[in-house]
Amino acid sequence: MPEPTGVASDMGVPTRMARAGAYLGLAALAAVTLFPLLWMASIALMSAPQAAAGTPPLWPQHPTLANIINVISQQHIGTYFFNSLVVATATTVLSVLVAGSAGYALAHVGFRGRRVVSGLMVFGVLIPTQALVLPLFEMFREVHLVNHYAALVLPVAANPVGILLVQAYMRGIPAEILDAARIDGASEWRIFRSVAVPLMAPILAAVSVLVFVVSWNEFMWPMIAMQQENMQTLPVALAAIDREHYQNIGLMAAAATITMLPMVCVFVASQRYYLRSVIAGSLTG
Amino acid sequence: MATVEIEHVDKVRPGGQAVLHDVSCAARDGELLAVVGPSGCGKSTLLRLVAGLESVTVGVIRIGGCVVNDLPPQRRDVAMVFQSHALYPHMTVYENLAFGLRVRGTARRETDRRVRQVGARLGLEAMLERYPRELSGGQRQRTALGRAMLRDAAVFLLDEPLSSLDVPLRAEMRRELAELHRSLGTTMIYVTHDQSEALSLGQRMVVLAGGRVQQIDTPVDVYRRPANRFVAGFVGWPPMNFLRAESLADMVGAPAGEAGVEYGVRPECFAAQPGGPDDVQFTGRIERIESQGGEWYLELALRCGRVLVRLRLEQALTVGEPLRLWVRRADLHTFDATTGQRVESSGR
Ligand SMILES: Nc1ncnc2c1ncn2[C@@H]1O[C@H](COP(=O)(O)OP(=O)(O)OP(=O)(O)O)[C@@H](O)[C@H]1O
Ligand SMILES: [Mg+2]
Repeated sequence: MPEPTGVASDMGVPTRMARAGAYLGLAALAAVTLFPLLWMASIALMSAPQAAAGTPPLWPQHPTLANIINVISQQHIGTYFFNSLVVATATTVLSVLVAGSAGYALAHVGFRGRRVVSGLMVFGVLIPTQALVLPLFEMFREVHLVNHYAALVLPVAANPVGILLVQAYMRGIPAEILDAARIDGASEWRIFRSVAVPLMAPILAAVSVLVFVVSWNEFMWPMIAMQQENMQTLPVALAAIDREHYQNIGLMAAAATITMLPMVCVFVASQRYYLRSVIAGSLTG
Repeated sequence: MATVEIEHVDKVRPGGQAVLHDVSCAARDGELLAVVGPSGCGKSTLLRLVAGLESVTVGVIRIGGCVVNDLPPQRRDVAMVFQSHALYPHMTVYENLAFGLRVRGTARRETDRRVRQVGARLGLEAMLERYPRELSGGQRQRTALGRAMLRDAAVFLLDEPLSSLDVPLRAEMRRELAELHRSLGTTMIYVTHDQSEALSLGQRMVVLAGGRVQQIDTPVDVYRRPANRFVAGFVGWPPMNFLRAESLADMVGAPAGEAGVEYGVRPECFAAQPGGPDDVQFTGRIERIESQGGEWYLELALRCGRVLVRLRLEQALTVGEPLRLWVRRADLHTFDATTGQRVESSGR
């Protein structure tokens, strides 16, 4: 293809070559990221002797579900999976509710002390979980919520990161859209429900993915707050399985694969929300 | 239908910035009141106060005779078209139009009928299923207007509704707005920074500058008898010429001897022939000529300063030639040079 001048590519129109290069690079990156995960899944399907080899091969010779069945039937992984699912789902629902309403209020409702609250949120982000573990444990023991799902859900329900994300996003939504709804006669609650929430949908989706993933992977606090074995979450249980069966690589890989599976589903399901611009076209200029 | 009365309103922003100072004006029942002023003079703020989106610092606002200072926008019975249109981006045109009706619990069939009726009236039938981002500027503007029409309010507030449109479309929409006002008969407050829009649309107009009311009058009266130097220079295009009293030497027959005044003459008030015995005569040299259709735009150099002249004239003109022009005494405006206030000549 003749290229008359350099202008076309200078103007930001990628040539075919450049595009192919970009895709190649992305493919390489994806391969590097996915390789260990796929290998892990592959090991989970291997027979015990094959998996026990010094370095397990890349592909199972005789694929078997033995490890998976073992992990489910012998290790109660179903219970832990259920615990994790309840905790992560409840945390996500609660923190999206809190982040959505608090972020909206901080961005668009004028109330006394709004700045102070915003500042406290930033402060909240800066506190490491480790510093909170002891006081939290004391608190929850006091109210008899140790070994209770609430112990894992409540501390993260008001998630400062989520609130700040929603606030920043909502600041980009012009207040005049909400004013228009006021003029239309909508109550403040109706405005929140019918105008603000649909406009917030993309950031709420992002926050829910973030919270779900963080909650699912949380290790330290669940380990301390859930001392009863049947209340443990997957990562904690996984660590226990690792300690007990460190020779049984296939079993460990099966448990890890099951732990990882929901994350993959969440990412695939939420992908399409990321690159959506909702406010395009509502305003002039 | 309702009157809107704004009485001695001050608005100070939370930061301490004073935006409006002692603003008083009123829109009569069914009147189209144009509010005009330069950018940043507080026009949008004034509308937002009437709508209840912001609260007054001092003063009283009455709609239909009732003090509404403490009523939220939902209960003021006003419709508003925003400067930015502010359509709901996640709703189709249909949903944008229907939202207000749905909120107020109108029956589905009735909502549908009225939305389609207004949509048809504004030429939006084919757009009803589109989202705001898929509309042209003019279509968005119509949607915003339609949303306000469906509000069925006693008062219509319009904040520069035409500012985002191109010139031909603006002229067309201006006609449509005038027609709309005639057929609805609603009280309207129309904000614009374009003085020609205010002159052509308003039954009366309020000139605002620096957060203060400069003049309230019919467009004809604002044009003929501007209350001060600011209004004189702001209303009318091309703008009025101002001459210091010292330039009296250039004028024959001007009211003599008044020190500390400034004279103003509109470019279109010059004539090539004297029209009456007490006309004021100007003599100057032609500096620049521009022909626009059948009209000439001249820059005439007087002994102290230049004036812009708009003249309808058959004869050819040449740069550098001297020219004598006449202005009717009534078209010579006089302003106090220090306060800028209009000085009524004793002759009237
Ligand atoms: N949200 C705001 N925060 C702080 N100051 C504001 C805000 N909105 C307006 N102002 C200030 O108030 C003054 C009046 O603003 P306003 O929007 O009423 O002007 P306007 O006459 O509508 O101007 P324009 O013709 O540009 O729309 C301006 O000086 C502006 O800087
Ligand atoms: Mg404005």
